[in-house]
Amino acid sequence: MSSIETLYLVFIGTGFAVGFGHCVGMCGPIVVSFSLHLESKRVLISNLLYHFGRVMTYAVLGGVVGITGSFVRVTAGIAVLQKAVMIFTGLMIVVMGLSMGGWLSLGRIFGDHYNPDGIITRGFGKMSGARSTAAYLPLGLLLGLLPCGPVYTVLITAARAGMDIQPPFKAFLTGVGLMVSFGLGTIPALLLVASLTKMNWLRSRNVIYKIGSVLMIAVGIYFVIKGIQY
Amino acid sequence: MSITAVSAVPVQAAETDHLSMVNCNIHEHACTRELLNSKVTLDISPKPVKAMTDLLFRLTLTGKQPAAAPYIDLGMPGMKMGPNQVSLQARSKGVYEGSGIIVRCPSGKRIWKAAVVLPGIGIAEFIFNVIY
Repeated sequence: MSSIETLYLVFIGTGFAVGFGHCVGMCGPIVVSFSLHLESKRVLISNLLYHFGRVMTYAVLGGVVGITGSFVRVTAGIAVLQKAVMIFTGLMIVVMGLSMGGWLSLGRIFGDHYNPDGIITRGFGKMSGARSTAAYLPLGLLLGLLPCGPVYTVLITAARAGMDIQPPFKAFLTGVGLMVSFGLGTIPALLLVASLTKMNWLRSRNVIYKIGSVLMIAVGIYFVIKGIQY
Repeated sequence: MSITAVSAVPVQAAETDHLSMVNCNIHEHACTRELLNSKVTLDISPKPVKAMTDLLFRLTLTGKQPAAAPYIDLGMPGMKMGPNQVSLQARSKGVYEGSGIIVRCPSGKRIWKAAVVLPGIGIAEFIFNVIY
């Protein structure tokens, strides 16, 4: 087994460990917020699409960093976009929290539990036309850009590998492979978190739903503040 | 280069107040720890030490030398960030250098740990603030 193949395995393992130790805390609120808006039977497929999109974005970042061999230049180039994505994510979680608590009509943006005539539904619906499970793929593509320490760490390795590997296309593929390995490793933990939202007892208790809504709003505000500070 | 010796008392990993774990003012000067019969001095440049930029890590060892090339594990106390190692190359006897990057944590936490791994000797930990 080559050293690069070994690295792929290392980063699958890293993704798995980081997933349970880091992503659950940082990204768990995101998957919980949109999973709670889904019918139970659509949670798995929606989350898989979300993660597929997220890993696709990781792959592109890994490829770019691999081919350029520069972590600093690439991350500096996307820093403003990452800031915007973090703020957007926070606002999205706040909106979903408000909706889940019954304080705002979200409608069918990401699910079909709520009033389809809501103001936000109409606005988002016109903008994206995405009223189905498929909306989770572009969401994952976008949120894959969220600033994340462990993602940066893998990108540094991709950049180092890129500097050592020729030709450039091989460096690109190595960067893609490293980031995909890491991304795949993170999925089990986040799927597990999402699957918790399918529990009927959780969905059927109004008080828990309300508490969850307030927590989501708090987390969303936290994301917005951190995004502004980023 | 001014050098400040810091306590050789082991860092308590379980300590929750990470700020109190800081044992190195890396923005101002190199830091030194004693490990067995070796003195381990770590310096990072350019200063002040900022995240998401290319950094030069310089290690100076006096006393017992490691059995193999030393390296640095970068991480945050109490938070898994994935493996971020700085490979060090010997520049002269007891002097090693390598380039690396400290990443930025979106949580805003700025306390980072550089664990200098010296094969055959042990691990010297330097905990410091990083500018975001």
